[in-house]
Amino acid sequence: MVESAVAALQALFAPEQLILLLIGIVAGLIIGLIPGLGGTGAVAILLPVTFGMDPEQALALLIGALAVVHTSDTVAAVLLGAPGSASASVTMLDGYAMAKQGQAARALSLAFLSSMAGGILGAIGLTLAIPLARPLVLSFGSPELFMLTVLGVSLAAVLSRGNVAKGLTAGFLGLLLGMVGTSPTTAESRFTFGSLFLADGLSLVAVALGIFGLAEIASRVGQVDKPGAVVELAGGWLSGIKEWLGYWGQVLRGALIGIWAGVLPGVGATAGTWLAYGQAVATAKDKRTFGKGDPRGIVGPESANNSVEAGDLIPTLLFGIPGGVPAAMLLGMLLTYGIQPGPAIISDHLDLMYLIVWSFAIASVLGAMFCFAGTRGLASITKVPFAILGPGLVVVMLLGAFQEGGQLGDLWVMLALGVFGWLLKETGFPRAPFLIGFVLAIPMERYYFLTANVYSGLSWMLRPWVLVFLAVLVVPAIVTGTRRGRARLRPTPEDPHAEPPPEDQHEGELVGSVWSRGLSAAMLLVFVAGFLAAGSFSPEARLVPRLVCAGGAIVAALLVFTELRTWRRTAEPGVTWTRDVGVALKTFVWMVAFLGLTTLFGYVAALLLFVPAFLLYVARAKPRIVIVYGLALAIVIAALPSLIPIGLPIGLVNTT
Amino acid sequence: MRDTTNDRADSSSSDARRPPASHPWDAVEHPPVNPKTSAAIMVAFALLAVTVVIFGGNLLNPKASTTDGDYAGETIELLIPLAEGGGTDTWARFVGTELTREIPGKPGFSPVNEAGGEGISGTNRFAASAPADGTEILVSTASTVMPWVLGRSAVEYNFNRLTPILATGTGGVIYARAEAGVRKPEDLLNRDAPLKFGGISATGLDLTTLVAFDLLGVDVDAIFGFEGRGPVNLALQRGEVDLDYQTTSAYAPAVEPLVRAGTAVPLMSFGQVDDKGDVVRDPNFPDIPNVAEVYQSLYGQAPRGETFEAYKKLLALTYTYQKAMWVPGDTPRQAVELLRASAEKLSQSPQFNQEVAKVLGGYPLLADQQLAARISTAYTVDAPVREYIVNLLESDYQVKLE
Repeated sequence: MVESAVAALQALFAPEQLILLLIGIVAGLIIGLIPGLGGTGAVAILLPVTFGMDPEQALALLIGALAVVHTSDTVAAVLLGAPGSASASVTMLDGYAMAKQGQAARALSLAFLSSMAGGILGAIGLTLAIPLARPLVLSFGSPELFMLTVLGVSLAAVLSRGNVAKGLTAGFLGLLLGMVGTSPTTAESRFTFGSLFLADGLSLVAVALGIFGLAEIASRVGQVDKPGAVVELAGGWLSGIKEWLGYWGQVLRGALIGIWAGVLPGVGATAGTWLAYGQAVATAKDKRTFGKGDPRGIVGPESANNSVEAGDLIPTLLFGIPGGVPAAMLLGMLLTYGIQPGPAIISDHLDLMYLIVWSFAIASVLGAMFCFAGTRGLASITKVPFAILGPGLVVVMLLGAFQEGGQLGDLWVMLALGVFGWLLKETGFPRAPFLIGFVLAIPMERYYFLTANVYSGLSWMLRPWVLVFLAVLVVPAIVTGTRRGRARLRPTPEDPHAEPPPEDQHEGELVGSVWSRGLSAAMLLVFVAGFLAAGSFSPEARLVPRLVCAGGAIVAALLVFTELRTWRRTAEPGVTWTRDVGVALKTFVWMVAFLGLTTLFGYVAALLLFVPAFLLYVARAKPRIVIVYGLALAIVIAALPSLIPIGLPIGLVNTT
Repeated sequence: MRDTTNDRADSSSSDARRPPASHPWDAVEHPPVNPKTSAAIMVAFALLAVTVVIFGGNLLNPKASTTDGDYAGETIELLIPLAEGGGTDTWARFVGTELTREIPGKPGFSPVNEAGGEGISGTNRFAASAPADGTEILVSTASTVMPWVLGRSAVEYNFNRLTPILATGTGGVIYARAEAGVRKPEDLLNRDAPLKFGGISATGLDLTTLVAFDLLGVDVDAIFGFEGRGPVNLALQRGEVDLDYQTTSAYAPAVEPLVRAGTAVPLMSFGQVDDKGDVVRDPNFPDIPNVAEVYQSLYGQAPRGETFEAYKKLLALTYTYQKAMWVPGDTPRQAVELLRASAEKLSQSPQFNQEVAKVLGGYPLLADQQLAARISTAYTVDAPVREYIVNLLESDYQVKLE
């Protein structure tokens, strides 16, 4: 075994292999930087390049890219609040908060180091897990997977500290939205209003980028006259590394959770990263700083983010069950070389296995190093006024999201969720529970029914792992409950700090206003409508939607009640309009106009009108900048399809 | 950033705090840009945009057309209505690349994925708007054919109006968990409790298996919702389901080890439909009896009747001709013939057959002159067959088709 490992490493250092690995790393880093593309984009772009190569070279290229995509997708998440992929939205919670406090470089350093560690640990885990994978995967059936999804969803409650009602409502809403599409067990279309487009379900990239990315752009564009946040480059490399080393325990735990989440077929990268975050929160004594720039919210999830990609390779290679689209494409590529997935792959292609492991490890290290070296440069993006960055970001993000399905409808969904995300943000609803609900809705339903149909009665609840997860779910709740009970009996000087520290003052402007009341009422209506609409589904297909709508309606009703009570009590009308609200709404109107132009005339033509107009009339940029910026962006976007397999939305005018 | 609360509400007070002169590198113009300059810039960009709309599409992607069957300088565009990376996508790109090399004139090759609606969206679009000039080819697979067979309302295409160029088949084997007490086909009948079958969706490829079970009279409790055949195989290994089937390419890695270990038992292969429309043994599973043979051994006579007709129809559609490439029906005859003849040449090349054994799983590429006729027969579904299938789905599996 050791000889094969060493032999594989030597083979990797052959010049052609190494160059391909480097190209893969650089390509992966760049693709990861662009919100929306992610691992799928990376493999889709690089796969055609591998036709005609030997399997070793193709693997070096692809694994090099896959290993680092999650390292660079943190950049946009931390600096701009636009998660590069859905799993980057986890790091974004604390990373972006830290950046807004002026510590972008610190956030990025922590993230990159953790990514590197996660990648290395993932590669080690990959080697060790191979003999263990089979029994592990076989002992994890539908009941265990169901419990995992329940654990993930319960994170929604954990993440809504400070406003449980709002967090739960957002979570239920996310669950409901996740059910739009086809029922996993009966293949019926639900909540699709007859549309074939909706029958596929909403695109995760569109939802994540819309609710976080576009919402963020709209709210930050209003800060035209302010300089960007001061970037603190305190201390330099050494202090960054020293601080990071202090969190090695978190990194290790994050990596382990990531590998394990990747190994289990059915738990995706997003869910794995959320689980790592949840674990960090759950095991922390002082939870109040999570979501406000706590380093523990960065190091664990980032590490998991990378190791999950490594873990994902196990079901792909050993069972032929790809963990996601990039893995599916990898599998397809291997098949064309005659490499069959299955247990035999270890014995027949041990050299390739080790090549993959080494490529992963080296790519993680190099990728993190490149990113680390670029931290200062990257962090200086925050110096550019956001109104200038805004239109370019919108163009790039929409293009990235478009790549997933090539459907213009996805972009409209993204925009709609952008407006919704902004509303949530301004009225004080946490958005993370929404995304968790959205991601886990269908898996939770699927595993529930598989469990219920395969196992009779509740015997499955006595399985060992199910009991473990139940304990993980229930015990912390009991502990916190008794702790609070005891604290109430014996008030301690800590009481004034029982409330979490104030949020970033910019958020939640519209809390307690008519917007907030209106939104809560609207949510209640949606749940009631959903409950009624579910009546037309078959019994099996309507069970979970109805449960979700019922739960959501209860919490939403509670919310409306609380809002009305506060309103009556304080007798304040609350804020109805501020300048920033106006700017945000105006920005959305501009985005709608851009999408409308795209639908009619195509992407390049639309951006040639949108970008200069926005820069001139909203950002009040100088003419020179407008011209250069507009032309450069248009040329790059127009030329892109000829260089890489990327599709541009085509306007109605051009489709005859 | 925290001290900006006061600035926001009143923009004029923030004017007073701005630096009076703007630095050359400062991106923002503090007094607004001269309206005339703005207008001039916008007009210039608008003109550019108009130019792009008029010329852009054609400049970067010249429209191909070959009415005379001459492919020199053209690009073959292959429409794959499913996502990248799946089995169909892999097959399509592989065969498409090889086929394009065979076509005289050395055309380019451009595979395009248009996933959505389980393949229905892309196929809809092809049927509605693909130009019939011989450069646009559609890929079909069982999951795009089945909805058409079932008459689902979302389907706006008709395979009877397309012309096939080539097709490939595959096969499969139904196997059982030995511990469930099933060691031979006879054990499928007369059981105390129904056997659990793991499926993905009743209206997909599983339907052929469901009809086979109906034909043989097997009492089955079908559990749908698995994400793929891989997870069902795992579930069988865990003891969660008793019956599963795997297609040929997955059989060797996923099932044979289990058979060797004695935990799984192969019961029957689906078989193949030959030129005369009869069910024969699958050449890749020469030792495993097919569904018709198993029926014979269980009931002492050859299968007949509506259920069997439905089975044969589904077998042809979803296995023997599982994947195919089509051009629009009104494509010029020379183009069609050239494509088909190139495909036939490819199918006879020994080098291709060697390489392709891994990807096609040992089934030949079909592109002979009688292919169109055979496919036309295979793809003609009679009303009684369709009715039987719809009734089976409704009565046994509570699936209402929309």
